[in-house]
This record gives sequence, C-alpha cells and structure tokens, in this order.
Amino acid sequence: MTVFHFFNCAILTFGPHAVYYSATPLSEYDTLGTSIKAAVVYLATALVKLICLATFLKVSESDSFDPYQELLKALIGFIDVAGLYFALAQLTHRNISQNHKFQAVGLGWAFADSVLHRLAPLWVGARGLEFTWDYILQGLEANANLVLSISLAALGSLMWLRKNKPKTLIPIIYLCAGIVATMPSITSYLRRGLGWHFPKVVGFELFTSLVMAFISWQLFSACQRPSM
Amino acid sequence: MKNAFQFLTTKFVKFVIFCANFVAEYIAESKPLGGLLFLLPQIFNFENNGEAGSNRLDGTKELLKNVLAELEQILIHTNLPYPVYFAFEDDNINAVLADIKKSDITGQPATATTGGYKFVVSAPEPKSVVSPSITNIQGWLAGLKGGDDAHQLPTIAIVASYDTFGAAPALSVGSDSNGSGVVALLEVARLFSLLYSNPKTRGQYNLLFGLTSGGPYNYNGTRKWLRSFDQRLRESIDYAICIDSIGSWENELWIHVSKPPENAYIKQIMEDFSSVAEELGFNVNLKHKKINISNPRVAWEHEQFSRLRVTAATLSELSAARELLEKTGGLIDSRHFVDEKAIIRSVKLVAESLARHIYGHQGKNIQIFADNSNLAVNPYYVRAWLDVLSQTPRVAPFFSKDDPFVMALKKELEDHTDEVYVQREALDGMFTFYDSTRAKLNIYQVASVTFDLLLLLVLGSYLIVLFSFLVITTRGLDDLISLFRRPPSRKVKTA
Repeated sequence: MTVFHFFNCAILTFGPHAVYYSATPLSEYDTLGTSIKAAVVYLATALVKLICLATFLKVSESDSFDPYQELLKALIGFIDVAGLYFALAQLTHRNISQNHKFQAVGLGWAFADSVLHRLAPLWVGARGLEFTWDYILQGLEANANLVLSISLAALGSLMWLRKNKPKTLIPIIYLCAGIVATMPSITSYLRRGLGWHFPKVVGFELFTSLVMAFISWQLFSACQRPSM
Repeated sequence: MKNAFQFLTTKFVKFVIFCANFVAEYIAESKPLGGLLFLLPQIFNFENNGEAGSNRLDGTKELLKNVLAELEQILIHTNLPYPVYFAFEDDNINAVLADIKKSDITGQPATATTGGYKFVVSAPEPKSVVSPSITNIQGWLAGLKGGDDAHQLPTIAIVASYDTFGAAPALSVGSDSNGSGVVALLEVARLFSLLYSNPKTRGQYNLLFGLTSGGPYNYNGTRKWLRSFDQRLRESIDYAICIDSIGSWENELWIHVSKPPENAYIKQIMEDFSSVAEELGFNVNLKHKKINISNPRVAWEHEQFSRLRVTAATLSELSAARELLEKTGGLIDSRHFVDEKAIIRSVKLVAESLARHIYGHQGKNIQIFADNSNLAVNPYYVRAWLDVLSQTPRVAPFFSKDDPFVMALKKELEDHTDEVYVQREALDGMFTFYDSTRAKLNIYQVASVTFDLLLLLVLGSYLIVLFSFLVITTRGLDDLISLFRRPPSRKVKTA
C-alpha cells in the first residue's frame, strides 16, 4: 500500500496550494497567470543560486556547521529576495489589486519551491516498502514554506510597491523581511549546529511561519489604513 | 522472484539449542508458511574469521553442534513445501527479532510504530543444474626406475575426496569433512616431492595422489576414476590409503578395511601405521566392515577400491560408517572445530608409515620427517590450506566449468608431482540439484493499511478545514454557506 502513502504525502505537500488558490478570491480574479510567472521566476532564481553555490562554496566532508560557509549560503539566499522583487515589481501583471498580487506571487513561488525540492524525493522514496515519518514531515515543511513565502511576498510588496508607508513601521518591515529571508539559514543552523532532529525543526518552522504570517498581516493592514 | 513472508517468530533458533525435537514436530505439522529462516550463531560463519563465540563454554558448543547436526539431517530428509533460509545473527537482526517477539507476546497487530515487518527475499527462480559434473584430479609421482618401464614399479595411492554436501550448499565448507583430508594429502605430496626430487632419495614406488569428487554421493567420483585406469596400473597398486576427516581427534585414529584383517597387505599396513603411531604417542585401531556388492551404498572411499580388487584402507577419526548424506561437511563443519595439530600429527603418521614401507625401514626407529629438519611437516602450509578450504563451499554440482578452486588444487598438485591429469565426468543421477544458493534478505518496517487510511482521513479533514478557514477569512462566512446551497431558482422571476 505504498503508492497510497505516496498519494497521502503528495496531497499533504501540494494540496494546500490548490486549496489556497481555490478558497481565496484568487480564483475569482483568475490570477493563475501571475502564479505561473512567479513560478518561472523561481526556477530562474534557483538556477542562478545553484551556479553561485557551485562556484563559491567548498564541499565539506563532515556534516558540521561551518559559520563561514553558512554565511556564504545566506548571502546567496538573498538572490531569492532579488528574484521575488523581480516577480513582484518588474513583471507586468494585469490589473489586479496589490492585495491579490502578492498572494498570487507568493503562491506561485511556494508551489515551485515544493515541486523542485520535494517532488523527486517523494516519488523515489515514498513508494518504497519501508515506512518512515520523513515524508509526512516534509509535507508539513511544505505547508510552513507556503505560509512563509506568502508572508515574504506581503512584506516584499510593502517594501517595493507601496510608496506611502508610516515612517515608524518601516524598520519593522525590513526586520521582518530579513528574518523571513534568512529562514533557510536558521533552520540549517538548528539542524547541524544544534543537532535538532527533523520533527523538532519542522515544528519550529511551522510555529515561526504562523508567527511571521500574523505579524506581516498586522503590518499589511496597518499600512493599508492611510490609503483608505 | 521475490518471496515475501511473515516472519515466524519466537520459537526458533534461540531456543533450538534445547529442542531440535520441537523443530522436527513443527515441520511435521506442515503449517502453511511463506518460508523458514534459521538464524545461526556467528561461530558458523566462515566469512567471519575472528574468534567469535570463544567466550562460550566448550560444553555449549558441543551441544549446539549436535543439535544443529540433527536439525540439518531433519531438513535434508524432509519434504518441505516452503523455502528454508539460513542467516547469521548480528545486532540488527537480533533487534528486529526482539521487537517481533514483543509484539507476538502481546498479540498486538502491527501498526506503524510497533514492529510490523515485511521480509522480502530476492533470489532468482531456482533451475535444476543441467548435467552436474564431478572433477577428479590425480598427480603422479614416479619412482626410481630400476629397469625401463615406470609402470613395472609398484604404486601406492593416497586419496582424499574434496567435495562436500549440506542443507545449505553455499555454507557447506566442510573443514573437517574432508578439508582436513585434502590438506593432509597436499602436505604428504609436498614432503614426498621433496624426497623424490633427488634421485638418491627417490623410492622404488610410484606415488599416485588422487583428489576425488562426488564423495557424499557414494564416492561416485572415485568409482569413475578407478574405472578409467588401465588394467596394468590397477594391478600395480600395492595399496591405497584414503584419508577422511582427520581434523578433530585427540588420542586415536581408525583404519577401516573391507578385506579381512588376515590379508597380508592389510597386516603390513597395520604394522607400519601402528608402529609409527606408537612412537608418536597415540593409538591406531583396525575396523573391518564387509562390503555387500549388491548394496549400492558405499560408506567408505576404500570400498570403491575393494570392489575392484585393489587393497585399500581409510584412515579416519570416525569410528563408525556414516549414513548417506550425513556428516558430509555441512552447516556445523566450521573451521573453529578443527585442530590443525591433529592434522599435523596425521600427516606425520601417513608420511612416516609410507616411508617405512617404501624405503624398507620396518622395525627400525628412524624418523624421516622429524621436526626441525628439512622434511618437517610445515604447520603454516597446513594452516594456510585449511583456512582456504574452510572459506570455500565445495558442493560438486555447483562448481563451474573452470572453477578457480579446482584449478588451484590442480596447480598445487602440479607443483608437487610429475604429471597431473584432470578427469571430468557426469555425476550419476541419484539426485537433482537446483541452483540459486545465495539470496539477499531485506527486512522492511512497514505501516499497516489502517494507518494509511487514517492518514488519508486526517489529511482530508485538514484540507477541508483549511479551505473553510480561508474562505471565511477572505470572503466571509456567507460565501462558505452559499457554496453548499444552490442559488434560488430564477424561474420564479421570469414566470
């Protein structure tokens, strides 16, 4: 019954994206094109990141936490942010409100991320006879990632698309964006440096993603008031 | 072909040390099993060279040996409808076994986290071995020709069968039966080749060394080998000494004959051997067993010689003849139970006795192969060959055409003798052999179907909750309710 298990893990990993699209007004305004464009931008970004990683990073034999290497990885991670900026600001979208734009971009971004990073291990691994909890945890991680991507897209749209922001909130916005952008480095530090096990790391990711989502929602609504 | 079966828990090999009867009864009950897996102690693993199990008392080793021997005989002679696998204990499989025992005791069905295991053995479909063959290797060491024809000199033959048989062919290394005999033969050949290399010390006897195959199957190879001799050679053989299992004895050896002890040649052999044995400090006893020509069962190798009227005897530590397929180098015959010192003493016995006969030193206390001389028995040679033999399963039908081990034996005999001849014959069809002797066992920890269904239910409800949550927060509760109700029919308006 292991194809069954693959099916279960697949709907855990990719289901929320589809549900998000159909549940929110995104489906009514037909923002699929935006999401697809964001996904393509993600693929391009991933390619650039790969080339940079291959060029600048040393291959270490041990699985320990090397601060210098992690710093390099974090810097390369900012290419992600650049890609998101490109997707939000530079691509021409049809007339959709900013509210929906960031959601669509975030959704496309997270979907591409899940497919790229999680589909192949799932296909190869979850259909085997041996049962592990890994794939279910990976699915939960995909969910956390979705929330994080949407928050990052929200903060990104606040930073680059909204011109009139209350002055006091600007540093908070940048700080939150910074935290969300460096999430990959934080999780890898937890896994390697502190030696946390996978379930603990996933729990942490879920928790922080909800917290960050809440904060960005508050920031977004706070910034929305002056324009009203 | 994959054979997946539910592991038969608790009862087995941990407890078999006390109840081989239990196993016999269990097998006789003919339960419908997917397969049977025996976990043997590491001491029987020939790939494990270390002193595994040296912490056990010798008493339990003996008990274990006897019980496993009985078990092997049960398996060989019972008709089992399911496959039987043998594996060796190690920490991983012991952990799995402990887990399974726990859940078996509590009667819990397998869930994801408590010991649901699936055993899959992947082995090719066994096919019957087409025309199994036996390979006899003979080495001829010519004596000092007084006249013109070497064949006018009398010949002494030294023979040992080198193949084995067991319930698990890939584990049948037969260190004692008859690895010890092969080692002894090679060492005797080496010593006499040293003696015969110098014409001044070359005896006036030809020496014929024979490594025969087909031993467990009524010495079929020996029979074919003898029938390939021409009449003159057969008549020139004074006597033949067959060496069979001389690796784990302490104080006495047996010489088994089928000609009556009053026979002149037999008397001569006994005199030579017992005088040397006395000097070396142990006993050699004579045992006479008549052969019945109409009975196809050949219990000792010398009987094949006797059936062709050639005087022969078998030197062995066994006091009684075996049954068919018993003690033929199976599961329990591992290196740990063989003492190389016993082999060295046997080599000394055979070499000195032959030398007394060849050089006519009967009655004189002369030691040709004394320790610390050029002709001393080389313990390193003995140990090296014994180790090699103890790591090579040697069931005859599974030897390939130019098997490296058989070629190695041939090369070794070439080093020690003048002429080597290899004879390949078909094994007489008493048994049919099926290949596929090794397989890989994979043990998977699996989750039950109920777990998968449960997970599906949980995920389904999660997605539904997520959906509702998103609809409520972004579009409002009314929208959610409206999804489940059709809008009121517009027909009313137009009517």
